[in-house]
Amino acid sequence: METTPVSADARTFILFNVAGTTYAAPSRQVRHIEMIDEITPVPNAAAHIEGVVFSRGQVVPVVNLRVRFGFERAERDIRSRLLVVEAGGRTVGLLADEAREFVTIPEAAVHPPNASLSGVSGNYIEGIATLADRIVLLLDVQDVIGVAPPAAA
Amino acid sequence: MPSNPSDFIGAFMADYFAECDEHLGVIRRHLLTLETAVGDAAPAAPVVDELFRSFHSLKGISAMVELREAERLAHEMESCLRAIRAREIAVSAPTLDALVGGVHALEHVIAARRSGIEMPPIDAPLARLAEVSRAPETLEAESDTAGAAPGRDAGMPQSGRRWRVTFTPSADLVTRGIKVDTIRTRLSAVGHIESVAPRVTGSGGIAFDFFVTIENGDVFAAWRDDGIEAEEAAAAPPLAATPARAPAPRAFDAPIAPTNFVRVDLARLDDLMRLVGDLVVSRSRLEDALLRVERLAPSTEWRTLLEHSEGIERLLRDLREGVMRVRLVPVGEIFRRMPFVVRDLARDNGKRIQVSLAGQATEIDKFLIERMMDPVLHLVRNAISHGIEAPEERIAAGKPPDGTIRLAASTVGESVMLEVGDDGRGMDAAAIARRAREIGMDVPDGELDPRALLEVIASPGFSTRAAADRASGRGVGMAVVRDTIQELGGTLAVETELGKGTTFHIGLPLTLAITDALIVHVGDRVFAVPQSAVREVADVEQDLIRVIENNELIVHRGVALPIVRLARLFGLAEAPRARRHVIVVGAGSAAVGILVDRIAGQREIVVKTLNDPLTRVAGVSGATELGDGRLVLILEPVALTRKVRGRAAMRAAG
Repeated sequence: METTPVSADARTFILFNVAGTTYAAPSRQVRHIEMIDEITPVPNAAAHIEGVVFSRGQVVPVVNLRVRFGFERAERDIRSRLLVVEAGGRTVGLLADEAREFVTIPEAAVHPPNASLSGVSGNYIEGIATLADRIVLLLDVQDVIGVAPPAAA
Repeated sequence: MPSNPSDFIGAFMADYFAECDEHLGVIRRHLLTLETAVGDAAPAAPVVDELFRSFHSLKGISAMVELREAERLAHEMESCLRAIRAREIAVSAPTLDALVGGVHALEHVIAARRSGIEMPPIDAPLARLAEVSRAPETLEAESDTAGAAPGRDAGMPQSGRRWRVTFTPSADLVTRGIKVDTIRTRLSAVGHIESVAPRVTGSGGIAFDFFVTIENGDVFAAWRDDGIEAEEAAAAPPLAATPARAPAPRAFDAPIAPTNFVRVDLARLDDLMRLVGDLVVSRSRLEDALLRVERLAPSTEWRTLLEHSEGIERLLRDLREGVMRVRLVPVGEIFRRMPFVVRDLARDNGKRIQVSLAGQATEIDKFLIERMMDPVLHLVRNAISHGIEAPEERIAAGKPPDGTIRLAASTVGESVMLEVGDDGRGMDAAAIARRAREIGMDVPDGELDPRALLEVIASPGFSTRAAADRASGRGVGMAVVRDTIQELGGTLAVETELGKGTTFHIGLPLTLAITDALIVHVGDRVFAVPQSAVREVADVEQDLIRVIENNELIVHRGVALPIVRLARLFGLAEAPRARRHVIVVGAGSAAVGILVDRIAGQREIVVKTLNDPLTRVAGVSGATELGDGRLVLILEPVALTRKVRGRAAMRAAG
């Protein structure tokens, strides 16, 4: 598993929301954020694969984070965003309900995920950060875009 | 100066490997010619000369990268050819074996360096080469030609003065096309290169020291801007080459005539192809926009615009074809290796085999040829170990004792056909069917047609032999062959006759990047179907679709044609329609009709692969953008229909 270097005192993240929870993806793994036009569904792909989009000359698979995290699918709206991330040599789009902030999180604010949480969110949470009044879940991008565990269809 | 010496060395090594490939290609080709000259007193001089030159160059460039094993092998083979050329030794079977063995060892040494693995031992091939290169006493007297050539050459290198020429490569020079090979060619054109060695300079860069004997040192002044510094060196050679080879064969060293070829990094061609692809998309956007404004623009103006747009389209087609043509390489690249494989395997298997090659000049995309190397190799191995009989068996069957493996290539329209055939015992369809049933495979009753036969032998795990021999574990191999070909958008068919032989027919697209496709609609979805896979398009009335045991079929041209509904396959909603279209793919008993709602037309599409593991789905080979930013999936009809047949088989079994 890829671990993010913790050498610096603070790292930068992109914050985004999925089903009412705020997540953070390391900004160096986020290539860009897009509005979403149309996603071409891929028949017979896994349930959490929304389809493919054409992004900057490349065909990019789109992971629906709601479905990936075990929530109901929701209609896309004007605030929906596609985070195009890069990890392990692959480029994948993450479909989030909303994404707009760029923050610096000091190492001191990050804690390892506790056992009860990892039960809910699986392995894709790398840590938890508290920012003023908010709780942010740090995403392990590599894990989220991994070929999914056999999800109960 | 190169900013990073290790980058530079990496690039330099890449050049080295590319050049090795070229020389080895020439060598393989000429060794084959030489093989036909076994027993001749005087083999064709140009062939021997070129072989000599290639080994000589390999020796030189290997020395530069300090790959000593390759240098020594090339040196021994160079000596052997010198002896052949001087008629000190004859081209006998052992000589040729030693050379072929030497080339094998050389390939392995270079490959080992390339992949950073342990060097294979080279003592045995070296010893064999040394042995055959020794002239037998009986020939010593006959030294007319042997004496003449070195005699003429001997004086040359010694006259003139000795220089130490230092070449310091840099990124800047490389962009001007000046590399160490350029310098070597230049120097060997004006003088004799005694030695060359790379060294790391004080600033961490790399430099090459050439020791050159040259008559007129003035030439160096003109080369100063090319990273060259020259100073007169002391007379004594520091590391003279083996005294035994003192009379340097200058006749062979003649400056290589400038060729009209450039070597281009494939990645650059890919970039170019991608740009052409983007242009194709932009132009179709332009056309869409034009069609939308037709009513708004004055008709004469609009007509002019349309004409310009059509002009661009024509140019674009030419441009696309031009770029494609640059990527094409002769199929001979695959074929030329095969006689060597056959030679070795035939000997191991106690068989006698000739190889016949046809259509070597047929051109195909570089990418495809690299992917096809292993499948073709595998088919050839199969032909040797399973197809061609032992000599006694052949004689008993009234055949010539030597078997023949035939490799042929030809261009048919937009595809390239490859053929790998043998005149061996053919496949015993009945035995194969029996064996398949034994291991629990689902095999249709009665006699297997070629199509079904291929299906069986290409299923993973099937093997007609109890133990897989060295040459081919047939089962897994054939599955890989078929899958590779299908991934490339190609087709595989087999033709076999008991006692007469087996031939595999491979059809491949000329190129992959841009292709013509049918745009089809199913419900609210749009898909592209590559034209190359489509045999026919027909209308079908809902009423005429018959259902037999869960399978739908129509009568088309007097035969029953199974049909599959794309909507059902992909779990899509299908609007009720009285009339649909059917796309016929595959031929003969494998023909299947794919039912779609509507065919929107035909157009040129730019193929983007869909290779992320998240979107790898059977029946979908890629995606394309039709100009409006939206992606359309490209279907792979063969995989789609295979899926259907698989389901049918499962239903039948369950």
